[in-house]
Amino acid sequence: MNTIELNKVRKTYDHFVAVDDLSFNIEQGAVFGLLGPNGAGKTSTIRMMIGITAPDSGSINLLGKPFDRKSLHKVGYLPEERGLYKKMKIGDQLTFLGELHGLEKNVARQKAISWCERLEIADWLPKKVEELSKGMQQKIQFIAALLHDPDFIIMDEPFFGLDPVNAGLLKDVLLDLKKQGKTILFSSHRMDQVEKLCDAICLINHGKPVLAGNLKDVKAPYGKNNVQIEYEGDGAFLDHNPLVKAYNNYGNYVEVKLAPGADAQELLRQVAARSRVTRFEVMEPSLEEIFIEVVGKTNA
Amino acid sequence: MRNVFLIAKREYLERVRSKSFLIMTLLIPFLMAALTLGPGLLAMRLMKQGTKHFVVVTSRPSVGEAIKARLTETQERETKKATELKANSMERSESTPSSQVTVDVDTNTSTDERAALTVKVRNKELDGVIWATDDALAANKLPYITLDVSSFIQTTILQESVSEALHRESLRTKGLNTTEIDAVFKRVELDPQNAKAGGPGAANPQVTFIASFVMVMILYISLLLYGINVMRSVLEEKTSRIMEVMLSIAKPKEMMAGKILGVGSVGLTQFAIWGATASVFTGASAFAARDQLKGFFSPMLLISFAVFFLLGYALYSTMYAAVGAMVNSEQEAQQASFLVIMPIVAAIAMAFPALQSPNSAVAFWGSMVPFTSPIVMFIRIAVQQPPWWQIGLSIAINLATTYGLVLLCARIYRVGVLMYGKKPTLPEIIKWLRYS
Repeated sequence: MNTIELNKVRKTYDHFVAVDDLSFNIEQGAVFGLLGPNGAGKTSTIRMMIGITAPDSGSINLLGKPFDRKSLHKVGYLPEERGLYKKMKIGDQLTFLGELHGLEKNVARQKAISWCERLEIADWLPKKVEELSKGMQQKIQFIAALLHDPDFIIMDEPFFGLDPVNAGLLKDVLLDLKKQGKTILFSSHRMDQVEKLCDAICLINHGKPVLAGNLKDVKAPYGKNNVQIEYEGDGAFLDHNPLVKAYNNYGNYVEVKLAPGADAQELLRQVAARSRVTRFEVMEPSLEEIFIEVVGKTNA
Repeated sequence: MRNVFLIAKREYLERVRSKSFLIMTLLIPFLMAALTLGPGLLAMRLMKQGTKHFVVVTSRPSVGEAIKARLTETQERETKKATELKANSMERSESTPSSQVTVDVDTNTSTDERAALTVKVRNKELDGVIWATDDALAANKLPYITLDVSSFIQTTILQESVSEALHRESLRTKGLNTTEIDAVFKRVELDPQNAKAGGPGAANPQVTFIASFVMVMILYISLLLYGINVMRSVLEEKTSRIMEVMLSIAKPKEMMAGKILGVGSVGLTQFAIWGATASVFTGASAFAARDQLKGFFSPMLLISFAVFFLLGYALYSTMYAAVGAMVNSEQEAQQASFLVIMPIVAAIAMAFPALQSPNSAVAFWGSMVPFTSPIVMFIRIAVQQPPWWQIGLSIAINLATTYGLVLLCARIYRVGVLMYGKKPTLPEIIKWLRYS
């Protein structure tokens, strides 16, 4: 079953087409990345999925039914624009949001407490939001999206502004939810994070899909033509080398894009002849590279 | 409906628990008292305090004496009245400063004397000089030299006293004795009987006037205050960006309704607190004017206060909610709320004419036009109950307008709450109204 199906969904603001006949499905239990540069239409798409705005045309099926606000009790949403009631206490705030999502008051409060314990912020329950740091507020908002145990979780730039420790904490929670069979939608322009977590992606630009499908299928056409080399010695041989299309020297290592038809083994022989090689790895291109290539092409 | 209730409950509890609620609840009665009683007390104090020293310049000592007698008597009467009024009001313990009037009669009518007296007035040695020379008397126009030219009340009292003194004097010269003259000038009191309340204990018109005025001011201030609260609350959700989370759960209409209900309930709570406190105080201190107020505070009046507060509040808070959704900051909100404040100010401008003549055209139309009717119709009911059909029509027009406004403002609200950044222009707002 698909958790959500978008069928030729379109949204225009005045003469600006934010989402242009976009279609994609997300399977139940999948971690799906909705990717795109800034202003590609990611947030506009999400807003239509949860009924904040209505599509001009096209249809949306949510949790197996045509869109119905009642289904929203099973959806958790972390918006990109973070916000909480500043003067309200954390505990009251989470309880209130839980109640709005259909929980009973004491159930909501109980869940708020156990989530805060899990994310190591239980001490802050009686504090007001305005006393919290940005990162802590983000955790609260994260909890608010998950409090009612939703089946479909939408996270718009969930790791934005978090330190590595907290980002790791949140990532573990999300992976745990995936194990429980929840469907998770990530929206992001940070490809490295999405790559680690997602099963499938849809890359959109100017409101249109430019790349979609399973992560492996998406990457396959780009082949394994990248090489990372760590070595000691002179790297001058890489210049004007017919095997090399382009390379990036990161200081500690060099990332080489092979010329079409070039043999990686031949390159390894050349490097080994001129320097001490500590690492040589043939890789598939990162999502970021594909992203830059595809978006660059469509923008050109 | 559950969402509306939850949102209203949050709004209500957060507000009632806040410090500003406590402060406003305590402060507003003081403000009201200062606003309504302040100017009156101040004027009374200025008029009554200290000894007033006048000089009457006339070549006929009998005229001078007559004016002197009349002024002294008037002053005594006014002092007595002020003392009684004070006894009725809250400052009972404080004794009224006894004020007196001294009148000297001067028979030197030369221009030099006039100049000398003018200088004395200018140096504040004298409060006023009444120039009652033969010429002036013949012309029926007496120059009155004073620094206090703007004091309308004092001048009026003086004029009445001087006129009466001169009339008495001229009757005396015609041969009437004092008893006869007193009989001529015996004051006839009009004893107003309010047809509305009927029977004994009918409200005194002065009490009706002041009490109506106070209630209207409370109505006016609360409409503004709670309307602005709704606006700021919407704005807060917008600037803190919680709006997006809320919108993923609740409909904009539910949010708007919840907010308006929540803040409105805070208003009613505040009224209940004031009402309870006032009744405790009046009960304990055996408020002297209570009997007079009894005739005024009929159940009908209290019900209409609640009804017209709710009608006005629904109308104005809906508009304020739309304004809050349109703007992005407090500054913008202040500019935009000008449009909403205008009709309330217009209603208050109509309040005085309506208090004085509740059946005039101004009062009638003011009580029918939806934006001014909550205030003006309430005044009419307080002063002199208009026909039932007019009250009904006024309420019906108001409800219909509110319904229409809710539909319009909900549309503005729905689009506005997601618009950040720039303040919308009028054509843009009109476009929002057309979005399906």
